[in-house]
Amino acid sequence: MSQPPPSWLHPGLRLIEAERCVGWAGIAAQADAFEAAFRASGGRVVLPPQGVPALVAALVAAERAGVELHLSRRAMPADAASEPGEPGFAVLLETSGTTGTPKLVRHDFQRLRGRLRGAADPDARWLLAYEPAAFAGLQVILTALVAGATLVSAPGAGAADLARLAVAHAVTHISATPSFWRAFLLALDGAAPPLAAITLGGEVADQPLLDRLAERFPTAKLRHIYASTEAGSLFAVGDGKAGFPAAWLDGGVDGVGLRVRDGVLEVNSPRAMLGLQIGREVGHGGGWLSTGDIVERRGDRALFAGRLDGRINVGGVKVSPEVVEQILLDVPGVRDALVEAAANPVTGHILTALVVPAPGVEETALRAAIRAAVADLPPAARPRLVTMTGSIALGAAGKKTRKGTA
Amino acid sequence: MTDSMFALIAEELARIAAEKGESLPTLGPDTRFLGGDLPIDSLDLATLLVVLEQRTGQDPFRAGFVQFHTVGELAALYRPTLHHPGLPAGSA
Repeated sequence: MSQPPPSWLHPGLRLIEAERCVGWAGIAAQADAFEAAFRASGGRVVLPPQGVPALVAALVAAERAGVELHLSRRAMPADAASEPGEPGFAVLLETSGTTGTPKLVRHDFQRLRGRLRGAADPDARWLLAYEPAAFAGLQVILTALVAGATLVSAPGAGAADLARLAVAHAVTHISATPSFWRAFLLALDGAAPPLAAITLGGEVADQPLLDRLAERFPTAKLRHIYASTEAGSLFAVGDGKAGFPAAWLDGGVDGVGLRVRDGVLEVNSPRAMLGLQIGREVGHGGGWLSTGDIVERRGDRALFAGRLDGRINVGGVKVSPEVVEQILLDVPGVRDALVEAAANPVTGHILTALVVPAPGVEETALRAAIRAAVADLPPAARPRLVTMTGSIALGAAGKKTRKGTA
Repeated sequence: MTDSMFALIAEELARIAAEKGESLPTLGPDTRFLGGDLPIDSLDLATLLVVLEQRTGQDPFRAGFVQFHTVGELAALYRPTLHHPGLPAGSA
């Protein structure tokens, strides 16, 4: 007979994926199989995307075997060669970078768990709207596990499919990006799931969206989370209004100190040392940490007004127009290029490009070359509209003027 | 009244689908953007809205998110009186 479930997994949980419902018995069987393999691996194991039940079984097995578990977001990680790593159970997550290889961040499992409220809630029915192996996705999974809740998932599915699943399985809890929520509202027909808790994170939550959600789900608890890459989840705002109370800039909130320096939000959080990026420390321990988020005070409210580094949020993915612009400038036949953000009510922004072709270059061939050059970027980072132009205007400082970076 | 807007949406949707190597089923006013038969995702829909703003000069979402599900509902958000650059008047 299998071992009992770990303390962070309520035996009443149910995982629903691809029309299959898996309980603790199913997870335990897979965990036993994983455990034998993990013990033989010596240190670090890589788990490619295999759905939520396998991920949960791997967490159980990795804890028992005392190994590092690298939850990969790609089918064949290039760095899959198992490295020795550090001894003991920990979870390694990949960051979602615009370009280059993703960075690996090591999370102490006890600390990951410590961030979650642990109350049992067997009647809750969660929908997983994030990638399972993303930080936010893992948080949702762990929350459902400890609560003994039902977790409905369909990795790789779009907002429209997830909306259908939410209705079909009468989902009560969803945590997702504002972009997801907009697409979710667009995809919902007359029927809507009986939501009790709505959480927004990963992007700035705007007032019209918060109003729309409150209108459509009047009885749901609505909150938006503020998190930063380095410091993780910092505070939640539950009054249904965009931004956060400006008073928090003086008194802090929930043990987190907040202040604005040169227009940029800085935080002082006991939770700042969340993970160790392999080869480099993330954050600086105690003390103030710049978030890179520009904050404006308007009346009694502090509102987010873009990124200091000019990165754009496209549907919850932070992308750098400058990096994409460099890629376009490297395409043979491109004489000049400008990549900028265009606002829209679905994904917040998309990237668009103005391209000046070199003389004699054929447009169709150039468009194909540009498409090929950006094909390796995540979909959110690809310029969605490429306009050919004769010249790109320069601003007063002799630099290209990039619109829409707020 | 929104015939020309409908035609513009159909034209741009077809272009976005073609970029992905997809072709569109026949569009009607009740065709849903997401969650229906169209081979588009939310980034494609975002692209369509940006193109429509460029081509009509109108941004019905200036004040924030407005709920719509179907092609007809989106077309109705744009004022019908404007002539759309690049589209012959009266085409439908």
